[in-house]
Amino acid sequence: MPEIDGKDKAMRLPIATAVLAVLLALSLAGTGLAWAGPGLGQVPPPPGGPPPGTSLKVFLDWPGADMAYFRGEIPFAELVPSLEAAQVHVRVSPSPGDGEGALTLDFAGLKEFDGENNTLRYRPKPGETPEETRGEVARLIKIGLMRYVSKTPAAKHVSVDFMAQVKPTSVIDKWDFWVFNLGSDLFMMGETQFSDTMFSGNISANRVTPGLKIRTSVYGNFDRQRFNLESEVIKSSSRRYGFEGLAVKSLGEHWSVGAYLSAASSTYSNTTFSASVAPAVEYDVFPYSQSTKRQLRVLYRLGYTQAKYRELTVYNKLAQGLFRESLSATVELKQPWGTVQASLEGSHYFFKPFKYQVSLGGQISLRIWRGLSFEIDGSFAKIHDQISLPAAGATPEEILLMLRELETDYSYYFSVGLNFRFGSLKSNVVNPRFGSGGRNISISF
Amino acid sequence: MSRPGVVLCFLVSALCLVSSRPLRAQAIPPGQADLEALKRTAVKVFIDCGSCDIEYIKNEITFVNYVRDRNEADVHVLITTQGTGSGGLEYTLTFIGQNGFADVKDVQKYFTNSTDTEDEIRRGLVRALRLGLMSFVGRTPIAGRIAINYSAPRDTGPVRDSWNFWVFSLSSSGSFTGQKFYHRSNLSGDFSANRITEQSKVQLAFSTSISRQKIRIESEDRTVSGQSESWEGNGLFVKSLGGHWSAGAYVETNSSFYKNIDFSLYVAPAVEYNVFPYAQSTRRQLRILYRAGWNPVNYRETTQFGILRDTLWTESLSVSLDLREKWGTISTAVSGVNYLNHFTKGHVDTFGTISLNVYKGLNVFVLGGWSLIKDQLSLRLREPTDDEIFLRLVELKTNSSYFFAVGVQFTFGSIFTNVINPRFGSTGGSSMSIRIN
Repeated sequence: MPEIDGKDKAMRLPIATAVLAVLLALSLAGTGLAWAGPGLGQVPPPPGGPPPGTSLKVFLDWPGADMAYFRGEIPFAELVPSLEAAQVHVRVSPSPGDGEGALTLDFAGLKEFDGENNTLRYRPKPGETPEETRGEVARLIKIGLMRYVSKTPAAKHVSVDFMAQVKPTSVIDKWDFWVFNLGSDLFMMGETQFSDTMFSGNISANRVTPGLKIRTSVYGNFDRQRFNLESEVIKSSSRRYGFEGLAVKSLGEHWSVGAYLSAASSTYSNTTFSASVAPAVEYDVFPYSQSTKRQLRVLYRLGYTQAKYRELTVYNKLAQGLFRESLSATVELKQPWGTVQASLEGSHYFFKPFKYQVSLGGQISLRIWRGLSFEIDGSFAKIHDQISLPAAGATPEEILLMLRELETDYSYYFSVGLNFRFGSLKSNVVNPRFGSGGRNISISF
Repeated sequence: MSRPGVVLCFLVSALCLVSSRPLRAQAIPPGQADLEALKRTAVKVFIDCGSCDIEYIKNEITFVNYVRDRNEADVHVLITTQGTGSGGLEYTLTFIGQNGFADVKDVQKYFTNSTDTEDEIRRGLVRALRLGLMSFVGRTPIAGRIAINYSAPRDTGPVRDSWNFWVFSLSSSGSFTGQKFYHRSNLSGDFSANRITEQSKVQLAFSTSISRQKIRIESEDRTVSGQSESWEGNGLFVKSLGGHWSAGAYVETNSSFYKNIDFSLYVAPAVEYNVFPYAQSTRRQLRILYRAGWNPVNYRETTQFGILRDTLWTESLSVSLDLREKWGTISTAVSGVNYLNHFTKGHVDTFGTISLNVYKGLNVFVLGGWSLIKDQLSLRLREPTDDEIFLRLVELKTNSSYFFAVGVQFTFGSIFTNVINPRFGSTGGSSMSIRIN
């Protein structure tokens, strides 16, 4: 397969940009695959039904109905002539209370589907022909049967499609898509010789529509640690608070413009107060509408930051105003063969001497062959722009507890994992006895 | 450019952005107005799932409206997962009808394989969601725009399982991180063999890991470094005894630098009772587990009790409750260990988390744990060095430990969350995932 060749090349070429170029090639190669799935539903059904004995048995109880027609319309089920053989009883009866020609469709589950019932109603449009009504009722019967069919082997071959495109904003919303959120968390942990307390709070107001995205938030984070050693007690604390804002306007399927606005104070970064504003423009090589499957976004930012420092910096400054520009390229792919996410970013200050940073980061998870999967995750940054470092340096405690930004030329993170799994693949058994090894709790807001 | 100039530029661009209301002024093509009316009456769905790709779901299923609070929804889709015998997951989709749909309830299942990619998993989940939502969509006028097609399968013959439910897994991983004055690495390897059926469960696992860290302190001209290695092997054998009872045994062996253990073996027969039937385990469990164990240990360094080896006889009891309901999640556990040959030694662990949707838009979670520790039998006799304390390389003397977290979130405003807008990256919306062993 072409995408595998592309990956091998990527491993051999050491240069960061080449990796990104190959990822682009990869994403283009994946194009064909991306559209294979959802399109399946459009293929007209070939003759023949599901394997005998496994299909859903339905008794259609509608005196005078054209059974041959419904057999043709509902190929994923077997229409049986009596209630005894059936797993689902579908009764279609007139429902005069709902209007002229209205019908009630009662679905009753039998045998293993006992208790699975539903009622649907159909009201014909004025001037509808009997053929049209029959077609619409067939559609509703199919819709009503889905909950049972999904529990039979035929489910894998049924597709449900929405034959229209509608804007996600077609709703009645008195708040005009504004969402407000207030949140706060407190976390404490400790034992006899160590304790840690963290508090964070945030307020946000967001409005996301396809044409415009606005995100604003005010946040604060506070952390206090305490070590009780035999000889002394060591206390340390850090705090960070500020404001973040983003506004993005859509310009077609590929372009967006917007601006970042932020204000912050942080003990870790040696800033009493800093404010920055950065207009930005973004181009996505793929249409934004395909974003859940693939993205290749290039973002340019030009910003200005005014900062006031807590301590004198290595450049002998207590306050500073600086322009900075940055360019980043991000690729995100989620395809049947795996997931790829990578980003390359370069930025520099308009400052003498020339201060810059270049970083490359990414995550790739691939299924190589059957049970063999591979994951790689890493980042590398060349850092030559630590303009806010305090001249005084950090104490050994601050270094060991990671309370301060430290002087460095680079930073890296790299992780690689290989997993091979073989054996039974048909065991969908769940056996919760004696626990299933740890518990996963996820809380989302 | 001067500073005020830039600020002005930002303000102007922000104003331009806000003042031009998109979508409003566009002419609506004929037929589209109809469709928009249909969409307004579409089913309101709340997807209650911490680990699902929500953006993908919203992108693929557009015949419903998504809301951010369960109380606003016509259908609350509660999605829970459990591990299966082949190492994949069982997704249970519980469709709870509300408001005008209160009489409709359904449960759909979807199974993944351990080797499925993220894309395959989300596609399968979307398929199960589409099928399950039909019972509700059928009651709204948008049903007229739904097409259901069937493509007959090729004959594939019956499936045979030559592995007799055994599943094996081999994995290794390495991670490396650092900067000029700081480096850390971790290497690990795992092997597991499992056989899970409804009648019995056999789980065997072996893992080993080694981690190193190095920090340079320039001002004192010294380098602090530490290394910690450990390995463990675990076996679990369980036999099902009806809907509520199980019996089995644990066999565990391990070695750890942190815990000062050179070699430890633990063999414990056990019995468990679940107040709820095991069949409901994805939503409700209240399990009571009793174990009696034999535990010979060799220590790396002389312990506080001046010994290098010991044989412990232990008994332990644990009670755990897990509930996943439409109003939230409750998960609590209490366990106690006591030593038959050191009767005054033992420990008690408690853990609890509650996450509740209290009222429209108001979510609260509390998470906490407390341990009373009277059995640090493996603690080193010597005092740990300051570096060992800071890098947390060795176990420290303690009587108790705790952690506690509480969070409140209040959200108001628009209830609809149909829109996905990936421009400038998708950020926002936070979630927390906790894994407790």
